Amino acid sequence: MTRLRKVIIFIFCIAISQNSEAQNPNKLLSLVYAKLNKTNNYSVDVNIKVDLPFIKMPPIHAKIYYKQKDKFNLVSKNIAILPKQGFVQLTKLINDTNSFTAMYQNNEILNGTKVSLINLIPLSDTSDVVLGKLWIDEAQQLILKSQITTKLNGTIITTYEYNTQKAFGLPDVMIFEVDIKKFKIPKAVAADINTTQKKEAEKIGKKGKIIITLTGYVINKGIDDSFFKKQDNY
Amino acid sequence: MFLKSTYNELLKIAYKPRSYIGIGGIILIISLILFAFRLDGQIYISILTGQFEQSLSFEGTILNGNLIAYIILQMLIIHVPLLIAFVTGDLISGEAAMGTIRLLLTKPISRTSILLSKFLASCVYTSVVIICLVIMSVVFGKLLFGTGDLIVLKSDGLIVFHEQDVTWRFFYGFLIAFLSLVTVASLALTLSCFSENSIGPIVSTMGIILLFTIIGTLEVPVFDNIKPFLFTTHMAAWRYFFDDPLSIKQIVYSICILVGHIIFLLLIALYKFNKKDILS
Repeated sequence: MTRLRKVIIFIFCIAISQNSEAQNPNKLLSLVYAKLNKTNNYSVDVNIKVDLPFIKMPPIHAKIYYKQKDKFNLVSKNIAILPKQGFVQLTKLINDTNSFTAMYQNNEILNGTKVSLINLIPLSDTSDVVLGKLWIDEAQQLILKSQITTKLNGTIITTYEYNTQKAFGLPDVMIFEVDIKKFKIPKAVAADINTTQKKEAEKIGKKGKIIITLTGYVINKGIDDSFFKKQDNY
Repeated sequence: MFLKSTYNELLKIAYKPRSYIGIGGIILIISLILFAFRLDGQIYISILTGQFEQSLSFEGTILNGNLIAYIILQMLIIHVPLLIAFVTGDLISGEAAMGTIRLLLTKPISRTSILLSKFLASCVYTSVVIICLVIMSVVFGKLLFGTGDLIVLKSDGLIVFHEQDVTWRFFYGFLIAFLSLVTVASLALTLSCFSENSIGPIVSTMGIILLFTIIGTLEVPVFDNIKPFLFTTHMAAWRYFFDDPLSIKQIVYSICILVGHIIFLLLIALYKFNKKDILS
């Protein structure tokens, strides 16, 4: 009987401690950040598939270079389209713990995985970020989904899929859901002299996706700063 | 005899100073465009990408030789017909005005052959203008701005073509542009048969192109049934090669309309030229 009581108390204590960890979002975020922080630099081959309204483009191959804390460069022979809030912003946001209040909202099941939903509310009125939501797999300390709303760039929802680099918290697939506002180009600029206004109804804003598949990570092998010198688009 | 007559017509075109106005004009205009884009190209790029810049960022060399060639073709294809009409509108009426048509018709060659040789010569002149356009826009564009993927701005969105997918589109695009200009040359040549001076056919050709373009641009239902049959509607058919997916049906339809116009106009010209009284 005493033994059974001890087991019950032990299980209860574990449950309490896990629950308190789940409800301590700052601790969870610091664990996630610690995992991401294992990566000082990396390069990775990416395949970018754009499925956006009003934009047609074939998939492209590129190489991404990243270096702590926020050096990022995409190198491609082709024109690439990326979401404004891409790769670096989320890490920067989590790192800057003094700029927001993290609030645990609830637990959810996301694609069969139990996740904690953490809200990030900025402390400053002047912050570009209005609200951040992170769906975090507590067991593996991985961000499975994020929703960042900013004043300048609207809302971008990102889903992350992990496989080869779970230990570093680096995803193999990133799916960005992008909100494209109404598209309108002056007819004279587009010079489509034979089009009519019948297509006008189709030009209302829609959601689209940018799917980025990342393969062949080379992590912490050192990257020279010269890789991050950006070229102009023109 | 026909080929010799065509050769003579080409010599006549080559010796007329006005024949070089078109080529000189193209060189001057494209040089100005290249200069302007070299200095202020980013303004055009912001027009291209500005609609999406709230949520997307564009990486890579957007302003490149392919984009420049596309912009130039888009800008000039409206104005080049004027340069073609300068020369082809003068082929018959110029001879009538100078009084050389009487001498021309004394040659042992039929009037039909004379007219067709003039038409062939105007096709050769048009192809020279197109080649000049290609050299100035594609070759010089790539030399000055390098090469890269092509972003095409359409009223319903952006299309990005990979660099290796662009050359054949330009090739066929320029072929359609050539066909469009030959249609204009046929119109000017036909009108030239009705006139005794050069100005009339040239101005009439431009007037017709202007009128048809206005009808094509007006979004009024009453013209909807006419628009598909106007040759000006199909002068922009080269743009179909920059669609994704490629609209083969529309391309074939445009080619048929343009070729139909050329044949119809040549038949009118042949009828008129064969019946023409030589009074000068």
